[in-house]
Amino acid sequence: MPRLISILTLLFSICAGAVAQDLLEPEKAFQFSARLLDAGQVEVHYAIAPGYYLYREKFKFAADPPAVSIDATQLPPGKVKKDEFFGEVQIYRGEQRFVLPVKGLTAQAPHFTLNVVSQGCADLGVCYPPQEQKAELTLAAFSPAGTATPATPFLSTAPAARAPNPQSEDAVIAGLFKGGFWVLLASFFGFGLLLALTPCVFPMIPILSGILVPHGAHLTHVRGFVLSLVYVLGMAITYALAGIAAGLLGTVLSAALQNVWVLSGFAAIFVLLALSMFGLYDLQLPTALQSKLAATSNKLHGGHFVSVFFMGVLSALIVGPCVAAPLAGALLYISQSGDGVLGGAALFAMALGMGAPLLAVGASAGTLLPKAGAWMETVKRFFGVVLLGVAIYLVSPLLPVAAHMLAWAALLIVSAIYLHALDPLPPNASGVRKLFKGIGVIGLLAGAALLAGALSGGRDILQPLSGLRSAAATVDRAPVFQRIDSPARLDDAIRAAAGKPVMLDFYADWCVSCKEMERYTFVDDAVRAKMAGLVALQADVTQNLDDHKALLKRFNLFGPPGIVFFDRQGNQINNLRVVGFQAADKFAATLDLALR
Amino acid sequence: MRRLWQALLAGGVALAFGAAGVCFYQWRSAEAPPDPVETGRRVLAASLLGVDGKVQPFEQWRGRVLVVNFWATWCAPCRDEIPGFIQFQERFRTDGVQFVGVAIDQKERVIPYAREMGINYPLVVGGMETMEFARQLGDRATVLPFTLILDRSGRVRTAQVGILMPEKLESLIKPLL
Repeated sequence: MPRLISILTLLFSICAGAVAQDLLEPEKAFQFSARLLDAGQVEVHYAIAPGYYLYREKFKFAADPPAVSIDATQLPPGKVKKDEFFGEVQIYRGEQRFVLPVKGLTAQAPHFTLNVVSQGCADLGVCYPPQEQKAELTLAAFSPAGTATPATPFLSTAPAARAPNPQSEDAVIAGLFKGGFWVLLASFFGFGLLLALTPCVFPMIPILSGILVPHGAHLTHVRGFVLSLVYVLGMAITYALAGIAAGLLGTVLSAALQNVWVLSGFAAIFVLLALSMFGLYDLQLPTALQSKLAATSNKLHGGHFVSVFFMGVLSALIVGPCVAAPLAGALLYISQSGDGVLGGAALFAMALGMGAPLLAVGASAGTLLPKAGAWMETVKRFFGVVLLGVAIYLVSPLLPVAAHMLAWAALLIVSAIYLHALDPLPPNASGVRKLFKGIGVIGLLAGAALLAGALSGGRDILQPLSGLRSAAATVDRAPVFQRIDSPARLDDAIRAAAGKPVMLDFYADWCVSCKEMERYTFVDDAVRAKMAGLVALQADVTQNLDDHKALLKRFNLFGPPGIVFFDRQGNQINNLRVVGFQAADKFAATLDLALR
Repeated sequence: MRRLWQALLAGGVALAFGAAGVCFYQWRSAEAPPDPVETGRRVLAASLLGVDGKVQPFEQWRGRVLVVNFWATWCAPCRDEIPGFIQFQERFRTDGVQFVGVAIDQKERVIPYAREMGINYPLVVGGMETMEFARQLGDRATVLPFTLILDRSGRVRTAQVGILMPEKLESLIKPLL
């Protein structure tokens, strides 16, 4: 065992050494998301990693189609940074939410593409080039501006979500409260009640049943209620401490929730919990400590209250990471107030809300608790799988998409096997077994799809097989280009075109938009149909030989991407050229002009 | 006792999971840098548009100690190191040191800035394609400034993300002269 510990310590220290010099890729340093609050407001969210910042004045917002307009004059003020070259500039750090007015969205035209350009730097002394980020937004079943209650979007997403969705929930809570102290407390209580509907409180139920069940028939309603109240109070006081800390510490906390170590630590806790659900061991204090605690608490009037209280404290720590996303919203809101009392009271109220259903269970003296039986093991295993899922979800920002997909695939496939997905059903199988087998087969197929997708280069967890599709598409469906590599060959090819228009595409292996054109534009059916009407030439200038340079120079291009066209007489069409990526519909229009 | 062992085992497994996760993340971030010879070849094979509107093939600087600096006028740390580069270009010109600035920027902004600072080495401009090129040359996070130093044989000797302080620059260039 000591050897194992020292190996692990070594492993951690090796890893820790690499952290310091690591720069995040721009998508990870500045995580972007956006959603429509209602027909008149869009919320743009940036999660900016600690040590990174974005310039306020560099933000540009645009909408497509042009009928929709975004009013970006209301960006909140940032922190002032004195810059040697640029003077006083305003920057954003940490979590940022901009609620911007939108005009022109109607029930008839509910879609638009939001385009946000941002630019930022890292404190280490490097800057990122301007990033363009897009979000496809659709006005869904929301009511018109002003009448949507903030709780509605939360309720509609929470029960469906496998794990809390940070984009929606913490936004709601931060946006909810603008009233006075008591309104705030009531809101937090209600919010806690809503949280109790998420799977996050599931780990608490076996703990609570562990507290109530040993009393068996002796458990009265009053005692059950008091025991669960003590438990809930333990939890609530822990949250209250977090709230006070948040009030006093400011935004440090929300940054901590994005820390690699904190996230990995929480994930490890979840794996531990999951293993206990699978019956590998029972979660309990060491016997020596237990008997000591029992002795102490027996001396106190009321018996187990102390240990129950500490169970509550532990539960808060256990459930904490699962509700991290909404909790971060709450803590962020509180930290902006800078008020420790308010923070403590608000989170205390929230925890009471979360605990209210548990109080009901306690007051029923355990009758609301399901009776023990073999099926309880099944339920426990189910929660084990859910907990492992939460662990994967928590570390997902740290993992490459492929690893993330493989983890899900493993979880789904192994669970499916446990559901007897591959075992034959006995002829007289019960309906429940058939149902489980069906679920198992679905899980197996989904897991297999993820596995196949991850291994074939798919990098979209919602469309795991998209990698296969586009790979197949580029093999089968990409139009055939005639390769040319010198001005002389080009002239030959234009002559040989004999009255057909000619298109010349400059390509290089390092050119990203060339690859995008291949992958998304040239495989489009309409584009292919139109390209059949002309002669398609391609110059691969990756090697940049003299002939390549001569070709580029002839068209005043300094490198790919670039597409030029020649009319039926072989003359270059002067004002028609494509530089950079063009989507299929636009490119089809360009081809129409060339074919005219 | 058996239970304790089970708990310890489970703890170890969980810890190993966490460690593996963190390590994998680090390992992935610490990908091996691109091959210095191949990278040098690609740099010298590049051609970019100069601020004067002429295409500048990098091949023309083969055989010199070439310092290629990716920068931009909107990048404050980049501006920090440019006075040092100007000084070094002046000092080591006769030793065959050639600085080249690759601005991820608009020509209209680069020209007045170059005039104001008195930049005494060639400047070329490029867009996001050029930034992608820099990423392939070793600027993994696509940040600026990014500087490559090639020796006379065209091999990349240094790939620096972030500011190059004069003392470090001197210690890097001198052995290559």
